[in-house]
Amino acid sequence: GLEPGSNCVFCLVLLTVALGAQALTPSHHLSLSDVDRLKGLLSQPFTDLASAYYSIVGLSKLGASVADENDACQFLKAQLDPMSVDSLFFAAEASQAIADCEVSIFNETRDILLAAVSEDSTVTQIFRAVSALSSLGLPLASQEVVAALVARIAKEDNVLAITTALQTATRLSQQAELGGILEEIEDLAARLDDLGGVYLQFEEGLEATALFVTAAYTLSDHADTEPPLKEDQVIQLVNSVFSKKSWDSRSEAFSVACAAAALSSNRFHVPVIVSTQGPATVSHSQPILHLLVTDILSNPLASANLLVESAQAVASKSVVLSQAPFSLRNGIFELNFMASQPASGYYQFTVAVTGDSRLVANQVELKVKVSTEVAVTNMDLSVVDKDQSIGTKTSRVDYPFKAKGSFTADSHQNFAMNFQLVDANTGVELTPHQTFVRFHNQKTGQEVVFVAEPDSKNLYKFELDTAERKSEFDSMSGTYVLHLIVGDATLENPILWNVADVVLKFLDEEAPAAIQSKTLYMPKPDIQHLFREPEKKPPTVVSNTFTALVLSPFLLLLILWFKLGANISNFSLSPSSVLFHVGHACMLGLMYVYWTHLNMFQTLKYLAIIGSLTFLAGNRMLAQKAAHSKIFRSTIKHVSGT
Amino acid sequence: MSNSVISVISRFLEEYTTKTSNKLKVVDAYLFYILLTGALQFLYCLLVGTFPFNSFLAGFISCVGAFILGVCLRIQINPDNKGDFLTISQERAFADFLLAHTVLHLVVINFIG
Repeated sequence: GLEPGSNCVFCLVLLTVALGAQALTPSHHLSLSDVDRLKGLLSQPFTDLASAYYSIVGLSKLGASVADENDACQFLKAQLDPMSVDSLFFAAEASQAIADCEVSIFNETRDILLAAVSEDSTVTQIFRAVSALSSLGLPLASQEVVAALVARIAKEDNVLAITTALQTATRLSQQAELGGILEEIEDLAARLDDLGGVYLQFEEGLEATALFVTAAYTLSDHADTEPPLKEDQVIQLVNSVFSKKSWDSRSEAFSVACAAAALSSNRFHVPVIVSTQGPATVSHSQPILHLLVTDILSNPLASANLLVESAQAVASKSVVLSQAPFSLRNGIFELNFMASQPASGYYQFTVAVTGDSRLVANQVELKVKVSTEVAVTNMDLSVVDKDQSIGTKTSRVDYPFKAKGSFTADSHQNFAMNFQLVDANTGVELTPHQTFVRFHNQKTGQEVVFVAEPDSKNLYKFELDTAERKSEFDSMSGTYVLHLIVGDATLENPILWNVADVVLKFLDEEAPAAIQSKTLYMPKPDIQHLFREPEKKPPTVVSNTFTALVLSPFLLLLILWFKLGANISNFSLSPSSVLFHVGHACMLGLMYVYWTHLNMFQTLKYLAIIGSLTFLAGNRMLAQKAAHSKIFRSTIKHVSGT
Repeated sequence: MSNSVISVISRFLEEYTTKTSNKLKVVDAYLFYILLTGALQFLYCLLVGTFPFNSFLAGFISCVGAFILGVCLRIQINPDNKGDFLTISQERAFADFLLAHTVLHLVVINFIG
């Protein structure tokens, strides 16, 4: 391994480079309430050895312990199955975390555990066996373990297996050849997924990422080699592991607790969190800016120093403060920013944390707001004649009083208001975001709001031209109560000041009824659905006439046939001809029934039956007829022949 | 000009009444009846409107179809055309006529609505 000294130099170089660049800072960490929640989840009662292990060891990583240690120890001893490697692992590791708790071992224990250390066991089995051997104080051959691990890594090439192998290596002797396994950290880090440049995590999830972080730093500490993770990667890992604030399972909570412990106390990279206590606001009444510098578990960093590198006003881009140190008091860093007499507004602070070469993300950007109080001065109200012929009557009103008389303005006059807004503490002129002049008619409930704008000298002017603005007032003459509204994010005392009463007189009063907006929210008239109207039919008389007309040619036909002498005298009453005619009549009747009652399928069915009968009968009948006429004709021929 | 038209028509009528057999005249009367019925239906449609259109079509097509089938029957039973229809006897022609009419009536009733 490398010497510790060169590590520090390397870190300092890294730090210098980092200070020059705009580094990423953690967007998530565990606040004190998060840590409590984590401890709460781990403190839940455990039912088996695995959950006991997660709870006991997890809590010890967070610097806490289970509620009843004796009880826990008894539980471990009772649940232990000395023949199972897993059981031995959980019990041994958990008992190590409890003071004065020893798990009894048998002669066979060592053999069982050593037997698990081979190329044929899974990495998890090797890890558990090695950890149990190490916790129970039993000797083991580190080089053999390394060989088995290397062989298993080649076979089980997944994230969890390699992470477990890294964890196993932390239990081996420092003299063993851990170089090959150390290289796996870099290979694993390459497999992390970058999400938007903010998060770095394995697709296997939070637990895998947290376990990797734990394993990487524990092994790096053990082998005294700096982990090959860049500062940005460390911050992205922090974001991934600590963004989830409620955990699904005990094992997930355990992995987060281990990762938090590893990141707050390893020898190489310690991410630092700079946060404000409450909102980052200073004002004359509260001139001191309080900042907390903690690690990711929200524990204050012992040896840190905080320095303001620069404080720049956002609006004017002028630097107000440079290289000013914070003073530490009761674990909180303080700076009296108001001493630099900043104007009100927002300031971009760049602070740096120094004092420890391991610190990562120690340059932080903060936005600080400087609030102030506003005062309205030189409020002058006047009624100005449009043609400037009559002199203006100006009244001065002082805040918070109301003007004594009311002001009257009709269509020939304008109502004007002039005032100044200044910082109550420094006297500097201010231009807040919101400066509104509100007219409220008490009788009709009308409310009209105008904006007062400052001129180039930051003097506020407001002028109301009654003729021009009559549409806003709906031409309602009457007494309007005048309010001045001043507000801004940087003002501690927003103003709502009833300045005066103004009587406005409009020409051509239209006096509309109550405000139209009232009817906007009443139910609207019902819409009746218009069904499709049936088509216009011709009158029944016409239809009936034409029906008779259309049927009349049939009469004509009968008359013609009678005249031609068509008759049914040759009608033979043979069964086939009777059947034929009956069948044919039935078919025609079926047509009528089809029109009135049936559908096509039924009709076809009946038609098939009747039709086939008719066909057979008809065939017979016509054949008979043909034969008959043939005989008839041949008889005639014969007769005429002779 | 009109003279020749009138003389043509009167000659045609004379030949028709004398030369054509009774059987054919019966069929001709039937055809005339069908023609009248169809014409009257069409007149109604022109005068009153096409509502309901499907019924009008059914009726009109029934007349047209029946007329065509009647003409076919007339051609087939005309003894002057015997040479063209050697395989089809009069009875067979009549049977075909009935079968075709069955199909026509089925379609018409389906469409009449």
